[in-house]
Amino acid sequence: MREATIIANVKIAVIDEDVIVRDFIVSTLMYSVNRDILTFDNGFDAWVSFEESGFPDMIIADVNLQEIDGLALVSKVKQASPGTVVVLFSDLPENETKVREKGSDAFIAKPFGVNELFNLVQTFVVEQDPAGDPSTPA
Amino acid sequence: MLRLGSRPENMREMELDDIFISRLQLLIIMTKSYLNKYPLGSYRERSILENAELVKVDAVGLAEDIAFFGSDEDFHNGLNFEPVFYQRVKLLAVMAEAFAKGHSLEEHKQEALEKNLNTICETITFSKTISDMQFLKVA
Repeated sequence: MREATIIANVKIAVIDEDVIVRDFIVSTLMYSVNRDILTFDNGFDAWVSFEESGFPDMIIADVNLQEIDGLALVSKVKQASPGTVVVLFSDLPENETKVREKGSDAFIAKPFGVNELFNLVQTFVVEQDPAGDPSTPA
Repeated sequence: MLRLGSRPENMREMELDDIFISRLQLLIIMTKSYLNKYPLGSYRERSILENAELVKVDAVGLAEDIAFFGSDEDFHNGLNFEPVFYQRVKLLAVMAEAFAKGHSLEEHKQEALEKNLNTICETITFSKTISDMQFLKVA
């Protein structure tokens, strides 16, 4: 049976101005991947950080963000770093189509819980090791 | 595009009760992983400590609300749990803090932890198994 491994030194960013929701996402992801998680409360600060320090492997963001919203962020990130996985979440059903059209890799409809976040990790962060070696990322 | 979460007709903003239940489910998964001897790491330990503290504070607050408002019909505890449930959650959080700090739990304490965990899972009808989350075996 193949062993699951996590992308080595995986870098994940969470962007949401609602600190309660953001911290919940961070707790779940930090536990899942055993890595620190980047956090931002608006799209502009996140974008500046990505340009200066490099793009993460995965970005999870609210559609509704100040200065640069989630939809605009998808376009900019996919243009600058096509390999970065972008996941947007929202409480408004009408945003789902917009998110799809912008080329987001996933959409999470609020309210959501740990299952959805574990599903993201399983889909976008876990690699199948063909050698079956349960190696520990550095 | 992968779609996750609520059905369109159920979509709404997340409330404090949603976060409490979600954090409690996360604490349950953390505890099951510990009981299954899955590895910890520094960030996992930090995450457990932060999550346990928040769950504990919320549980104490919700229990106090029940004690204060009692049967007041104007007070609606949306979660509708008995006070003893919050005591069980508080105990779970304290035990999670203990193992996250590296304190080894003796066999009888592990049994008590598992029993408490099962009772909480039955109350909130949470039956998530961790066997399909292989990535938790890697720290």
